[in-house]
Amino acid sequence: MADFTAEVFQNEFLPDGGTDVHAIVRVTSTGASTAGSMTTPTAAGSSAEVILIDTSGSMGRRGVAAASEAAKAALNEIVDGTLFAVVSGNGTAQIVYPYSHQGALVAMSSNTRGEAVRAVEGLRANGGTAMGTWLTLARKIFETVPHVTKRHAILLTDGVNEGETPQSLQSAVASCVGAFQCDCRGVGDQWRVEEVRSIASALLGTVDLIPAPEQMAAEFERMMRASMARGVANAELRVWVPQGAELLFVKQVSPNLEDLSSRKTQVNPLTGAYPTGAWSDESRDYHVAVRLPARTLGQEQLAARVSIALGPDPVAQALVKAKWSNDDTLTTRIDPAVAAYTGQAELAKVIQDGIAAKAAGQDDVATSKLGRAVQLAAQTGNAEMTTRLKKVVEIDDADTGTVRLKKGVSKIDDMSLDTASTKTSRVRR
Amino acid sequence: MTDLPTDAPLASPASAGPAAYPDLPQASGPPSPPGPSCPTCGTDNDAGATFCEACGADIAPAGPAASGATTGAPTSGLAVGVGAVATPQTAPTGEESPLDVGWTGVVTATGAGSALPDLTCAACGLGQIVDGYCDHCGTPPPDPRNHVVQTPATWVGGVCDIGKRHSRNEDAMSLSASPTPGSRAVLVVCDGVSMATDSHIASLAAAKAALVVLDQPFPRGVGTHDAWTAGAGRALTTAVSEADAAVAATVTADVPNPPSCTFAAAVVENEVIVAANVGDSRVYWLPDSAAEPARQLGSDDSYAQEQIDGGMDREQAETGPQAHSITRWLGKDSPDDLTPHLTTVVATPGWLMVCSDGLWNYCSEADELRARVQSAATVAARPDGTSDPTEIAQQLVDFANAQGGRDNITVAVARLAGQGSIATSGVAFATAPAASEEEETTHG
Repeated sequence: MADFTAEVFQNEFLPDGGTDVHAIVRVTSTGASTAGSMTTPTAAGSSAEVILIDTSGSMGRRGVAAASEAAKAALNEIVDGTLFAVVSGNGTAQIVYPYSHQGALVAMSSNTRGEAVRAVEGLRANGGTAMGTWLTLARKIFETVPHVTKRHAILLTDGVNEGETPQSLQSAVASCVGAFQCDCRGVGDQWRVEEVRSIASALLGTVDLIPAPEQMAAEFERMMRASMARGVANAELRVWVPQGAELLFVKQVSPNLEDLSSRKTQVNPLTGAYPTGAWSDESRDYHVAVRLPARTLGQEQLAARVSIALGPDPVAQALVKAKWSNDDTLTTRIDPAVAAYTGQAELAKVIQDGIAAKAAGQDDVATSKLGRAVQLAAQTGNAEMTTRLKKVVEIDDADTGTVRLKKGVSKIDDMSLDTASTKTSRVRR
Repeated sequence: MTDLPTDAPLASPASAGPAAYPDLPQASGPPSPPGPSCPTCGTDNDAGATFCEACGADIAPAGPAASGATTGAPTSGLAVGVGAVATPQTAPTGEESPLDVGWTGVVTATGAGSALPDLTCAACGLGQIVDGYCDHCGTPPPDPRNHVVQTPATWVGGVCDIGKRHSRNEDAMSLSASPTPGSRAVLVVCDGVSMATDSHIASLAAAKAALVVLDQPFPRGVGTHDAWTAGAGRALTTAVSEADAAVAATVTADVPNPPSCTFAAAVVENEVIVAANVGDSRVYWLPDSAAEPARQLGSDDSYAQEQIDGGMDREQAETGPQAHSITRWLGKDSPDDLTPHLTTVVATPGWLMVCSDGLWNYCSEADELRARVQSAATVAARPDGTSDPTEIAQQLVDFANAQGGRDNITVAVARLAGQGSIATSGVAFATAPAASEEEETTHG
């Protein structure tokens, strides 16, 4: 059984009249991967996987061939006993495997794996792209096995959603929230990062760019292996704040940025719950900000209880505190973890805003936003992000954030910067 | 004839003499559980710890702090308890002995001590304290040290209060008393030095260690007044060094600014007072009769006192820039000479007070203090004509808080009726005229 721990990084001291408490809570699980171990067949029905493959006309012969190779790589990673299905999507969605007489999902075995591989080899490119229909079919598939708690899908697309309205996609995504988790990958440069990111974000998954079709197989293998390692189906982050306090936000800040605030469900009048999906052996960092009514100097108050719950009961808890002090040496210090993640969150925001402005032709806004991004990346020593930024802008002075937009930047570089913007580097203690 | 020393053994001043049960075995306490957790803040403490290193709360029922030393512990109202300490208090159940000073009979286990603590939040009254904080408003329970009230006997009481400006109470108080008025009492007040780190731990350790020493009967020698006062003086000197060691032991490593505190104590036995102090916490003798001067016993070890000795006006010195700098203290970095200022007074009817500078900052002159105590005594009058000492202490704390409460405030008072007032005669000293001059020994 998995063990969870929660630790808090914060400066609990507030100045006279201070109200806002910021804390990073690091939740770590150990022993979570043993349940879904690679070596032992998973008990039939403990988890379910659906692979959603784009077979729209734009994929072309080469794209679909690569996609079927990627699907095969993923199938090879699925542990025996896991329920699975493969769906092909264009303007509509069809179950490629299992065959209709077998039901919507079938347990993985050497036999079914072989059948599935043959089925994906028969995929052909044709038609449009309506991801809402794919997701809806995936939801219906998962709904045939309500007892299965760990449900995961991989979605591959190469293009912009069309053939259905944005509202229709949105409502399809909304209907899938809580039904399954979905990691999304876009191949090539014809898909829209923002669109796919909103799907992945709502369905507690990741989003990334696969530059060329030949790279899909390795990415699918990696994604499916990661999913298989998640032995804890559904963990819930809970945040209690005292009566009279205002919870400003709850964000996941590592391994990637995700504002959880809008996903809140109320456990009781003082406690909100945020779904975090499945866990393997890993650490995730959360940034919690609480606004308290100021108390008098010398007083102490608990600002938040942050816990992780499996089912009804919390399994680990961290306490976020507030102490009012007139000692400037205590109150002016900003916790390094809070500072670093605050900086990374701003970096992500200015990159996304900058790329969006650039796409909209607002070059002055894009220059200013990306300039700030260069400055932040330099200040925080984020060399990887600086490298990505250099592909998009000429840096005149990183310290002041003076940049010029590069001419003739490939769209892939813009998109790669955009998708990478929410990946954060872990803050060390 | 009454001047002659009694030949009764005086190992204990309690009315139930020890001779009656000389062979009763001393109950030995149960072994202390290893690493008791603090019931207030949850910190794990070392085995045998009697108070929490982190928050200072009592760790009950750890029993006597030191072996043997406290088997004769009388009515010890130790410095920290939530709310008032019941009167009178005896040794823990199973450890009481007729040899105890103030033996009040076998203690039954069905006391308030077995009741579950009320975990309702004191701040909002709606939530429960679940993990050191309220589950409704997030407020931690008040530090029990913020306001400590002790009434070890009807004639001895004290209040130790955080004041209005400090975020922590670094004063500590240890009181004990036998039920019979004037028979025996120990009053200890220690004030943590605010410039040093964690001095709240220092003051509590010192006060508790001193009480352990002073609760033991003093050797009487030939039974004369002089012999007893000499024994009391030695005990107080020992108490200072034990308290000093206890403070030093609160830190293991070399820290730049080790915890430290002052020391002021008075021992009363059969209407004779011996007072001792190191630092600027004070003992005052406040006789009822206006003919007899009210005065501070001993003198401060402070920069202000040095200036007064050098001719400066008291008020000017005590409000000057370094008025609160003390020249001697207890702790790891204490000066070599810790011999306390010792003073002996044979009581007339009056009030004995031990207090921290949180009070005398607002009322340094003994005459003014006497007037305040006397008017407080009128308010605190009981139907039998006596006054409640704890109520008097509370009124003086209220006074200091009304003046601003800039520092922690501790006031402990004992009512003395004067020599010869105790019904159980035969314990009077050889030479004890009511208004005899005390001898004062000031060292260093």
